[in-house]
Amino acid sequence: MGPSLVDDLYFVLHDNVTGHARLHPRLTSLGLAGAVLAELMLAERVTVDLASGQDRLWATAQDATGDPLTQKVLGHIIAEPQHPVGTWLLFFARTIYADVRARMVAAKLLNPPARHLLRQQPAAPVDTNTAAWPLARLNLAVQRRKPPVVMDCVLYGLLAATGCDQRVLWEHDPAFVAATTATLPVPLQRLIAQTKVAVGQAVISRR
Amino acid sequence: MSLTEQRPSAVSAALAEDRLGVPSIVFFVISAAAPLMVVAGSVPTAYAVTGVIGVPFAFLMLGAVFTLFAVGYVTMARHVVNAGAFYAYAAQGLGRTTGVATAWVALLAYNALQLGLYGIIGSAAEPLLLDWFGASPAWWVIALVAWALTGLLGLLRVDVNGRILSVLLVSEIAIVLLFGLGDLSHAAPSGISFEGFTPGSLFVPGVGAALATVVAGFAGIESSVVFAEESKDRNRTVPIATYLGIAIIAVLYAVSAWAQTLPTGPDGIVKAASEQGTVLIFNQASAHLGSTIATVGSVLFVTSSLACMIAFHNTTARYIFALGRENVLPSVFGRTSARTAAPTAGSVLQTALGLIVISAYAIFGLDPVTKLFFTFGAFGGLGLLTLLTVTSIAVIVFFARDPRGETAWRTRVAPALAALALGVIIGLTLINFDTVLGVAPDSAIRWILPGIFVVAIAFGVAWARVLKATRPKVYANIGLGAQAVSGGTK
Repeated sequence: MGPSLVDDLYFVLHDNVTGHARLHPRLTSLGLAGAVLAELMLAERVTVDLASGQDRLWATAQDATGDPLTQKVLGHIIAEPQHPVGTWLLFFARTIYADVRARMVAAKLLNPPARHLLRQQPAAPVDTNTAAWPLARLNLAVQRRKPPVVMDCVLYGLLAATGCDQRVLWEHDPAFVAATTATLPVPLQRLIAQTKVAVGQAVISRR
Repeated sequence: MSLTEQRPSAVSAALAEDRLGVPSIVFFVISAAAPLMVVAGSVPTAYAVTGVIGVPFAFLMLGAVFTLFAVGYVTMARHVVNAGAFYAYAAQGLGRTTGVATAWVALLAYNALQLGLYGIIGSAAEPLLLDWFGASPAWWVIALVAWALTGLLGLLRVDVNGRILSVLLVSEIAIVLLFGLGDLSHAAPSGISFEGFTPGSLFVPGVGAALATVVAGFAGIESSVVFAEESKDRNRTVPIATYLGIAIIAVLYAVSAWAQTLPTGPDGIVKAASEQGTVLIFNQASAHLGSTIATVGSVLFVTSSLACMIAFHNTTARYIFALGRENVLPSVFGRTSARTAAPTAGSVLQTALGLIVISAYAIFGLDPVTKLFFTFGAFGGLGLLTLLTVTSIAVIVFFARDPRGETAWRTRVAPALAALALGVIIGLTLINFDTVLGVAPDSAIRWILPGIFVVAIAFGVAWARVLKATRPKVYANIGLGAQAVSGGTK
């Protein structure tokens, strides 16, 4: 398994020193759910069935992903191919935050969350530089107005979909987000759009 | 989002666990209607301002009209999912331009209803503060405290917790019924009169003014359909919750409005309401049931008003957000606070308007109850009536193109009857708008205020035309709500 999009998005959405969340947990969860699906798409195991007109997720390969988290997600998608992307985002968002954090702790990317004075401390990154790197890549790409590599285009699109881009990036440029997203394959574009929809609905929802 | 699959699905089952059932939705919608605030605030004000004795009948009649309206409305909710129901339905039924115009009317109406509440909170809290501390600040000081609280909670995205809400609501309903029993056992010497329930007592000069107030009391009930996406079963949960909500508040308000007339008799209620205003029912309760229960009622009156304020603030802020997301409003309104996931810009706009209105009323020394609460309430009520009428027509047109397996009663007969009844009510309200405002019949302001809605509609139409010409993509997505950013998948 190479560098993970999910881990990158986690780092971007959290302070690279303290590990404090920069975004509301519900929206973070939706973003991470989008990232895990995007990771499976980039690995060509899942795609969006565009013909249905409903943005359904479709498993294209069933071989092992080599990682329990993505394997579990893939298993669900294989078992129930009838759901649209939006439903999957809501479903995986329920548990993904804790799962991703646990995986990153196990991979020694994050320190296990500590308890100090009765207060749960967030899981701080083991190495600040590793944690700061994904955001730095995006910032550089935006500054140079040069679309980054595919994985970072997806990262950028998902970050913008959560609405957190204005908070963490040096420059806010909706046109550049649209332009980089447009370079991606259509299934990934649909995934990013559906993540944005899910985030909007989470904001409107009264709970 | 279709949940139409036949075999049991682990995904659907897991998601269904978080979904809302009938009781939760009923609690949400009735608490936005704030029973005690209507009973203690709107009802005596309606008696005092309009002089109409038939207020109880008005509640029952409008309950029936709302039910009729709800038939088509919830049917539409099965087929069109959107958080800003009115304008989405109008857009889907009558075209996008009408949708934008409707959105502007809705914004205006909800803002008016929300802002009007700042007028009632002072008179709700004053008697308590006098009782406890022997002194009370000016109404606008109390209003500003409530304003700050509402604005802050809105930004932090704190909705009043569902459980607190249900406890408050059940206590409110219990206290309203208890007050009613107290009135019943201390009826005037002339005996128990049912005059308030006769149509003849309503259809007198001033009927339109009474109706506008009564409509505002129902405001909030239409929000049931925005829970469609989050309900356990879209096809059943939302309709049941809507009908139940309408039935509960119509009967509760009617009975309570009637009970208030018992101690004085129907002939004395207008005078008593004029003299005592919003403390009327608490004075009655104090005389019949003792001061402790009256105090509990007063406390609930304050909490009820606050809960209603927060509910309306958040509803309006989300409405603005949905419109910003569609680019019908500038896209800055579609942004959220990263930390709290609150629709920031919408919330701040609301808060700013609140400050302007409270300041203006304080500076010009206008009466907060009759001039702010009642006028804004009636103005919002008029807007709401317009929205309901347009929505009913939109339902008919939408299903005329494709009935989608729905019956003629749901798609044609009920919405047509509702639109007709609502149209008549709007007419009556306009005829009596001078009474609502408490101005001379030839005063210009009685036409200026309803005229604001006409201006809003004109601006909405113009804005839609501009969008169509300059940003056709945005125009094409009108009415899709949060879905608009995906280019629409339905």
